[in-house]
Amino acid sequence: MKNRILLFSTLLTTLCSPLVFAEVAVIVHPSNNNALDASSVAKIYLGREKSFADGQSVVPMSMVETAPSSASFNDVVLKKSASQLKAYWSKLVFTGKGTPPKELATEEEMLKLVAGNPNLIGFVDASKVDATVKVVFKF
Amino acid sequence: MKLQYNPRQYWLIGPVLLTTLYLPSAVAEVKLNGFASIRGTSVSSDGGLPPYPGYEEGELSFKTESLFAIQASADLSEGLSATVQLYGDGLNDFEVDARWAYFSYQLNDTHRISGGRFANPIFHQSEYEKVGYAHNFSRLPKAVYIGLDFSTIEGIALDSQFNIGDYNLQTKVLYGGWTGEVFSAVTNTTVGFGLDNIMSANATLAGDWWQVFGGVFAAEIDGATIDSTTVFPLAAGGIALATANGATAAQIADFRSRIGWDEKDAFYWFSGFAIDYSNWLVDFEYVSYEVKESTDVLNNSWYLALGHRFDNVVVTIHTEDYAQDPDFGYLNGVTHPVLQATGRGITSAFGQREFDGMGLSVRYDFHPSAAFKADYFKGTDTRSTVGDYQLFSFGIDLVF
Repeated sequence: MKNRILLFSTLLTTLCSPLVFAEVAVIVHPSNNNALDASSVAKIYLGREKSFADGQSVVPMSMVETAPSSASFNDVVLKKSASQLKAYWSKLVFTGKGTPPKELATEEEMLKLVAGNPNLIGFVDASKVDATVKVVFKF
Repeated sequence: MKLQYNPRQYWLIGPVLLTTLYLPSAVAEVKLNGFASIRGTSVSSDGGLPPYPGYEEGELSFKTESLFAIQASADLSEGLSATVQLYGDGLNDFEVDARWAYFSYQLNDTHRISGGRFANPIFHQSEYEKVGYAHNFSRLPKAVYIGLDFSTIEGIALDSQFNIGDYNLQTKVLYGGWTGEVFSAVTNTTVGFGLDNIMSANATLAGDWWQVFGGVFAAEIDGATIDSTTVFPLAAGGIALATANGATAAQIADFRSRIGWDEKDAFYWFSGFAIDYSNWLVDFEYVSYEVKESTDVLNNSWYLALGHRFDNVVVTIHTEDYAQDPDFGYLNGVTHPVLQATGRGITSAFGQREFDGMGLSVRYDFHPSAAFKADYFKGTDTRSTVGDYQLFSFGIDLVF
């Protein structure tokens, strides 16, 4: 009986706990002084904005869709599931109106690329951020 | 339905294909994308004929609505790119055509100019009509997306994108032409047809959860073939009877010029809205089109869809109406009663096909690149050879 209660309470706790995602940081080159919020970042990642506020062209970089930071970014910033996002880009790719951000395999690669190019914007697990990049915001 | 290529098309497709597929990788990055639909479709009608051309009545077909496409796009740097899309579908025995072949140049952040062979934005979703994964239907509602044959044209286009506060405005203007074949419901066959001086403009204004859109499309008809194979043969009996009853040669010539389509103006427009709010989805589109001052009939069609997203499942119900509104104004001034009656008869024949119905569609995103879809549609066609009909389908839409 005691075991059953323990099992039930464990199950209940597990099911009722909100899903906990690791904190994700949106990052740019350290020299980038543009003010960016979730809305403006979403526009960049959906192909609706092609420049930073200072006029410098922007190239968004994404993580592979299996990366936890990618799911979190799609959900919180873009407000779309992976399937919705793929359907959205299908409309643009197959009408010649745009291409989705390039997907990187590792966060180390993301940090290296963003640290080396002022035109890039990316996102990584916040715990991976180092001094070579600038954090725009975390969520 | 198969497009008839003319030398202009070969001249265009060749260089784009070569540029896209054979550029050394050091010069250009070539991206490959594709889409496919594998769908089993069953249609049955009281009249025994299928409601849509190419469909097989009374049996389950895995050919009718299956298709595939592969697209290669070469980024030539400095904003220049070349794209070719190879496409085949079951309606055309999976014969592969270069559906698209065009160059694009990104002028700046706002404007991009393209030249070549590309999708014709006749209506709001025409450009991605074949990409099943991009929408939640098994097929876009036929009342609006009836399969107009000039869905791919040759020309130049300017795509623009503007951010207005929190809103996004996308526009497209286009000039081009098309030569091919169209389906005639009168003869139940395809006939040669062309569109010259196509001019098109459309716009979509979008917020976070809504969009409104509209567009126009005008062209001059190259209709000598449809006139000689369909319109004039339909009128032959009436013209002979009118001649026997005193119609003059001048009256006959005037009548022929009125009923013919050649060099007449075609005019299309569409408008509508889409909502995606708290997982509720609403889509509405209304379209209207005709060949002006001819025996063609004004077409007024629309669909309305309501859907709900349950995580990775979307359930959609929709209703659609394909209606024709005969306008006999082009016969004003035709005084001979037999010619008047003949003209009205031909217009009525072109306007005989109307249909409406309701459908239920389910989409299940079971994989990041694939969706399973099933649907049921029940409709009524005014042609006695079709009458009440039902359609059921299931299949998978892929993108890669």
